[in-house]
Amino acid sequence: MSDERGAGPVPSRLMRLAVVGAACLAVASGGLFYYATVSRQSGNAAAVIKVEVGAKACTPNALTLPAGRHVFEIHNTSDRPVEWEILDGIMVLEERENIVPGLRQTLAANLKPGQYQITCGLLSNPRGSLTVTANAASDAAAATGPDLKAFIGPLSEYKVFLAMQGASLVAATEKLAEAVKSGDLEGARALYEPSRLPYRRVEAVAMRWADLQTAIDPVADYLERREKDDHFTGYHRLEYGLFAANETASLVSVADKLVADANELKARMRSMKLAPDDLSGGAARLARRLADGKIESGENAYAHSDLADLNASLTGIAKMAGLVRPLIPDGSGDLAQELDARLKAARLSLDALKSGDGYVAYDKVDVAGRRTIAETFRALADTLDKVSNRLSLG
Amino acid sequence: MRLKYLLAVTALMSTLGGTAYAQQNTTLDLVEPIAEYKIYVSEKLQQLVTDTKAFTDAIKAGNVDKAKSLFAPTRMSYEAIEPIAELFSDLDAAIDSRADDYENGEKNPEFPGFHRLEYGLWEKNSTDGLAPIADKLLADVTLLHQRITDMALPPEKVVGGAAALMEEVAATKISGEEDRYSHTDLWDFKGNFDGSEKIFILVRPLIEKNDPAFVKKVADNFNTVGTTLAKYKSGDGYQSYDKLTDDDRKVLASAVNTLAEDLATLRGKLGLN
Amino acid sequence: MNGSDDRLPPRSRERRHFLLGMGAAAGGALAAPAALAATQANAQTQDRAGNAGTQHHVTDAPTGDASTEGRWPFYGDFQQGIITPRPAAGMIAAFDVIAKTPKDLEGLFRMLTERLAFLTQGGRPPDLDPKLPPADSGILGPVVAPDNLTATVSVGASLFDSRDWLKPLKPRHLQRMTRFRNDALDAGICHGDIAVQFCANRPDTNIHALRDVMKMMPDKLVLRWKQEGSVPVIPPRPDGRVESARNFLGFRDGSANPDAGDRALMQRILWIDGARGEPAWAERGTYQAIRIIRNFVERWDRTPLGEQERIMGRRKSSGAPFTGTTEFDAPHYAGDPHGTVTALDAHIRLANPRTTGSEKNLILRRPFNYSNGVTKSGQLEQGLLFICYQADLEAGFITVQRRLDGEPLEEYLKPIGGGYFFVLPGAREPGDYLGRTLVEAVRAGNASPT
Repeated sequence: MSDERGAGPVPSRLMRLAVVGAACLAVASGGLFYYATVSRQSGNAAAVIKVEVGAKACTPNALTLPAGRHVFEIHNTSDRPVEWEILDGIMVLEERENIVPGLRQTLAANLKPGQYQITCGLLSNPRGSLTVTANAASDAAAATGPDLKAFIGPLSEYKVFLAMQGASLVAATEKLAEAVKSGDLEGARALYEPSRLPYRRVEAVAMRWADLQTAIDPVADYLERREKDDHFTGYHRLEYGLFAANETASLVSVADKLVADANELKARMRSMKLAPDDLSGGAARLARRLADGKIESGENAYAHSDLADLNASLTGIAKMAGLVRPLIPDGSGDLAQELDARLKAARLSLDALKSGDGYVAYDKVDVAGRRTIAETFRALADTLDKVSNRLSLG
Repeated sequence: MRLKYLLAVTALMSTLGGTAYAQQNTTLDLVEPIAEYKIYVSEKLQQLVTDTKAFTDAIKAGNVDKAKSLFAPTRMSYEAIEPIAELFSDLDAAIDSRADDYENGEKNPEFPGFHRLEYGLWEKNSTDGLAPIADKLLADVTLLHQRITDMALPPEKVVGGAAALMEEVAATKISGEEDRYSHTDLWDFKGNFDGSEKIFILVRPLIEKNDPAFVKKVADNFNTVGTTLAKYKSGDGYQSYDKLTDDDRKVLASAVNTLAEDLATLRGKLGLN
Repeated sequence: MNGSDDRLPPRSRERRHFLLGMGAAAGGALAAPAALAATQANAQTQDRAGNAGTQHHVTDAPTGDASTEGRWPFYGDFQQGIITPRPAAGMIAAFDVIAKTPKDLEGLFRMLTERLAFLTQGGRPPDLDPKLPPADSGILGPVVAPDNLTATVSVGASLFDSRDWLKPLKPRHLQRMTRFRNDALDAGICHGDIAVQFCANRPDTNIHALRDVMKMMPDKLVLRWKQEGSVPVIPPRPDGRVESARNFLGFRDGSANPDAGDRALMQRILWIDGARGEPAWAERGTYQAIRIIRNFVERWDRTPLGEQERIMGRRKSSGAPFTGTTEFDAPHYAGDPHGTVTALDAHIRLANPRTTGSEKNLILRRPFNYSNGVTKSGQLEQGLLFICYQADLEAGFITVQRRLDGEPLEEYLKPIGGGYFFVLPGAREPGDYLGRTLVEAVRAGNASPT
């Protein structure tokens, strides 16, 4: 042990050195690696697969593709904003949400051989299928294992974060459910936003389970019958009851279900296996998703507490970014500083709207104000993508 | 996303001849054990801060008997996570150094931490002059807690910690020199063994399949230690180290050395350097 | 049995050549143990002048004993390291044994035999995955050179006393060493369940062997104490004779030792046979007495030369007795009944009075000098790691030491550690193991209905 004493409190430096070593090797790897990186950045190396999302289904509704990277262009031909997701079992691999009627969005995904499902627009629509077939490259990839050691520490620490937030989530939703059951409308209103914060801090992971996401956090806009839809459950159903309908009586079973879902989410987060790209990649996906959707549209249509939500999301993103930051190789220019600056800018864009202990109501933030926040999150997502690429996580 | 990374590595392997990454397919399996261990460490640190507060409060209240009774139980949390606590050399020295680490030993005014308080409580049977040392100790364990809270634990340190704990007991504790004034060494041992066994239990599923004989041998030795220590249980704690018989000391020494040898292979077995 | 023959020096006086030859290079081409014995005398004359004119740094490895390829047979009727010529470096390591059952004990003996057979014959330890701790400490390099290493395993009374199934098999005279008049025994360097005597040309070879045993057997052996010692390497005289080495009192030690090349004599004074009333398993074994004897060298050096010689009974310079001219001349006490020539309480006269019957008390001495740093008082902590062998511990060391009790030399000595042990019979060939006869005797005893 004594030889460790000189090393001091910089274990992250050790990991960083290991990653630098791996990265140096990666530089020597030449063609394929170069291709993989560049094609991702340019975003147009593969043929674009066009998908139309209509009011009742996707066209085509069944896709068969070889393994590898594909770019999808999703065209919303319905009259409602929709989302489009690729699901592996219950895990969300990739998604685009808030696709405005009439518009197209692109989405790139690297697909391993297997059978996937696709959500098409409204959650009540039938799911499409995606079959990915094996090829030489995927076989080769499956046969090897990269040196992932440098990620063990950060991923473990992130699992700890998930465990802590999972525990907070269960405790906070239980408190909320108690207030609802005792008919304490004011109390329940005060507990609504605090109960959401742990969820938003882990949303980068939570959004991957389609079933739970659908149960915990659907917004009425995505449901056929909006607030009257049977699938309108979870947080926003409670929010609707507490802040719009001003009653708790109809919320008891909703609150109980939310507690049950929170417990399920906590358990899944504890047992889930994380991959290296889940940190910077997951953070990037979440930041982009927020920038492309919720920040502009708003999500808490009745409580208008979106800024607190966003602050919690940013905390989750900052946690993930902070864990991979020491792994950024030295030869990355000022990428680490850029990351710091982007995180700070996003935080400042929220801080600017502080009011007392909290934030101003989101309905008081106009489109330009929302766009300002969205831009900081988009810029953060761009930088996190760069970090992902720099760590050869692609 | 992941696939691209895999492709890149495949390209790398074909370029370099491909042996470098040969046996590391399973290293991410360590994520869960290390996360669990971090939670364990966090809980121990929380306990350490709470217990140290009570211990130092007793000293500052001039209550020698109470402080004596709190000394050993307070230390156990620290001993259980010593390999991690020792990542910070400044705090390890401030919290747990011994008189031998200072020229002139106990007389050296720089001699700090638990053992300085132990010396005052047992050798001088007094709390005179201990208050500033107690305050400093509480500040140091609190700082340790803070530093570790947001730190990603290096996997090598965690896995290597199982052997390191046994190594420490074998090299500097089995002699009874750690708690030389209070003779509460068996409490420390218990902390050290628990901390080492915790790591072993967490990574055990990863090696059990390939090396059941190893796992059984290590588990047996932990059992030997457990049953030997259990003989000296007294209330919530342990009897004085003087009470340890020669035969039991031998059994402990053998188990500790064997555990140190065997656990020293854990890192390699798990593909860590 | 061939092995034991090989280990016998060819001529009696050549014991002395061997004694020092081990310190010099044994020569790299020694394929067979027999050849080793034959070439020892030549090996010691190796020319070291080559270094005289060349530049070298203090941290360069010493080049004096370039070859480390000499090896002694491990297998044989008797264990090695007893009548084997004494090399420059010796070590005693005493262990406590963790063995609850005869099976545990057998496992310990088998493993110990396997390690010692490897270490004394040398070879290449296995290469492991670099992520694992290496199989070997590596302090002798990637290949373990035998370096004339011998390892001699003996058992202490405590091994038997603390195990009911071993108690009935304890050798007759094996006992816990008790205090003599002048002793100040330190419990930390006394006794043990098992002792291993390592001897080699270089101290590092002994240290390597000890570390190997500790690393391989931590579940079976707990190191209790160890003491290293050395014997100075001395070039032979021009007439080819080799002198006895000096101890830290400046006197030659070993001048009157029995001739280890005399097989009949060794059978008489060393080896257990059926006629000694010992348990049958003990045949081919012998008793070992180990004493760590501190010398007060500062006080000794302040003692007049005449008094030093009177106390010792020999001339300091030549080692000759007062009745002779060389160290090899036997002293004559017959014409000196009142001790006017050699004092009655002179060390050599008490130790071996050469009276009728005192030949029963003959012992084979094989000591090393030791030097351990500085005492709290700032004096040198050095002295003699005394080791001797005999077939009857009571008639041998214990009787001799009783005679020495109260000798004037005591003023300059303080025995502080050691113990009595019984050297196990040799392992005869690969597959056999040290302690086999004892383990089999335990099994036979347990099998019988009584």
